[in-house]
Amino acid sequence: MTQADILIYIAGALAVVSAAGVVMSSQPIYSALSLVGNMVSLAVLFLLLNAQFLAAVQVIVYAGAVMVLFVFIIALLSPGREDSPLRDRRALIGGAAIVYVTVQIFVLATNGTTYKKGLPTATCATIREAVPAYRLIQAGQPASCNPFPLHGNENAVPIAQANNSAAGLNGVLFFPDDVNRVGNVQVTGGQLFTTFVLPFEITSLLLLVAAVGAVYLTRRSPGRERAEQARASRRPPLPAPAGESLGPGVAASPKAPAATGEPESA
Amino acid sequence: MIADLAHFSIGPDYWWVVLIKGVIVLGFLATAAAYLTLAERKVSAHIQLRIGPNRVGPFGLLQPAADAVKLLFKENTAPAGRDKLLFWLAPALMAGAAILAYAVIPLSGTTNVNGYALHWNMAHVNVALLYVLAITALGVYAIFLGGWAANNKYSLLGALRSSAQLISYEMAVAFALIGVVILAHSLDLEEIVNAQQHAWFIVMQPLAGLLYFVGALAETNRLPFDLPEAETELIAGYHTEYSSMRFGFYFLGEYVNMVTVCSLATALFLGGWLPLIPWIHSDWLGGLVGVMWFLGKASILLFLMMWIRWTLPRLRYDRLMNLGWKVLLPLGLLNIVITGSVVAARAAS
Repeated sequence: MTQADILIYIAGALAVVSAAGVVMSSQPIYSALSLVGNMVSLAVLFLLLNAQFLAAVQVIVYAGAVMVLFVFIIALLSPGREDSPLRDRRALIGGAAIVYVTVQIFVLATNGTTYKKGLPTATCATIREAVPAYRLIQAGQPASCNPFPLHGNENAVPIAQANNSAAGLNGVLFFPDDVNRVGNVQVTGGQLFTTFVLPFEITSLLLLVAAVGAVYLTRRSPGRERAEQARASRRPPLPAPAGESLGPGVAASPKAPAATGEPESA
Repeated sequence: MIADLAHFSIGPDYWWVVLIKGVIVLGFLATAAAYLTLAERKVSAHIQLRIGPNRVGPFGLLQPAADAVKLLFKENTAPAGRDKLLFWLAPALMAGAAILAYAVIPLSGTTNVNGYALHWNMAHVNVALLYVLAITALGVYAIFLGGWAANNKYSLLGALRSSAQLISYEMAVAFALIGVVILAHSLDLEEIVNAQQHAWFIVMQPLAGLLYFVGALAETNRLPFDLPEAETELIAGYHTEYSSMRFGFYFLGEYVNMVTVCSLATALFLGGWLPLIPWIHSDWLGGLVGVMWFLGKASILLFLMMWIRWTLPRLRYDRLMNLGWKVLLPLGLLNIVITGSVVAARAAS
């Protein structure tokens, strides 16, 4: 057993335990934190699969941005304890059934996969030729697969652009050593913008729709705002509540973006 | 050539080499944090026409040791209504995240030691820049959970301010860094430094450098942006209820974060270990000289941070948010557009 094997078991166990923690914690904040733990364990698994870029992005986007907002809201609303779902017989049976079916599907799916052993492996040359981003090679550095020459290196010569950009990589296996030598981001980016460009663009369109929807929901319509202003002007102004002020500096001016208002823009 | 060497040894390193490097980095960071507190007090004293600590040891040089002993032996108080687990976990997370981030920062160029490629960082990661951003993003939890778990309204307010501030400025910092990545064609910090052989990126990316430094001040909760712990209104914010070594961990985390941020700025904008006075080096001695150059540049930035802290007043909270979202973020986007267009135009011609 190598170091990587041991780490895979540790990270996998942590991922399962923290995933269980998400559904079984009685306090919502512990559920959210378990989810953070789960995401970080998954990032470790990605790392062990040589997907360093994916691991870093997983931590930045999910653990660092999305879950911070969840924890933020939970801590602000401070909801009370919840009953553990384990007490609910029906939830337990339903959950177990779903887990069983998922595991079965997963096993079936992996059994059906045949690893394409006979296909050519992606060498430096094939990657460089196939991914349009690697148009430059550094002369005199044949062993290295660094696609981009150092800055100001006069030996850098552009080679002809690969005429068959996407098709060249179809069915080619990426081996971790090659990917590492080329650069994780470069390979991922190259694949995203060639082989997987359609799913990639559709996903971004989906996110755009979600963003527009969120803006629409939070924005007041001008008509409603005018009506509210008219109603407010008819009402006499409220007297300032005595002794309610939080003290100088603590409560920001009404124009200041409240801390809870930030998540939308983030 | 050093740059050629950098490519053949990505992958598993000897575990004992990594262990030795880890011990050295940990020791270095702990010492640096301790002496930064002394430096901070000395600098503040000189700015305010005082002398500063001078009783323990020559020129007060043993003051950090005295402070450490004091922190260790103080009573470890804890508020009654706290969340026990999180109150204990948060300071450890703060120090841990701060130290982890330093693992990928290359203090010098890869050196050839009898055919073995010696990297001057703990882990030679392909996406080092993203790794640092990811680990710093986790640091938000330490501050937020610490403030929340203490069950104190000042702590909670400090924690809320801090989280909002960190999330806002993280965006600006990330946008500022993209310009550098476009120019260097890499997220590998070592390659980014090597790309500055001819001109430091502060020359080509002055706007990004400025944005990064301002964002870094906010991310480390340093003074124009130290709203989360504003002592006059929040009595130290998120760590009000922490005492003894738990407070020490927050303190350590904060100063280690300063070192990390300044080291990252050195690697990204000030040419890292590249010397001002050219001296070709490829053996381990040359590597050590590179470390000296790196730490020298980082120290200048650290001094700048202290200088700013003791001369500028604190921003108001709404102004802080306005600066982050309405000034830094658009400027960062502008920088990306300009850099991208110039690079694309030059590639096309």
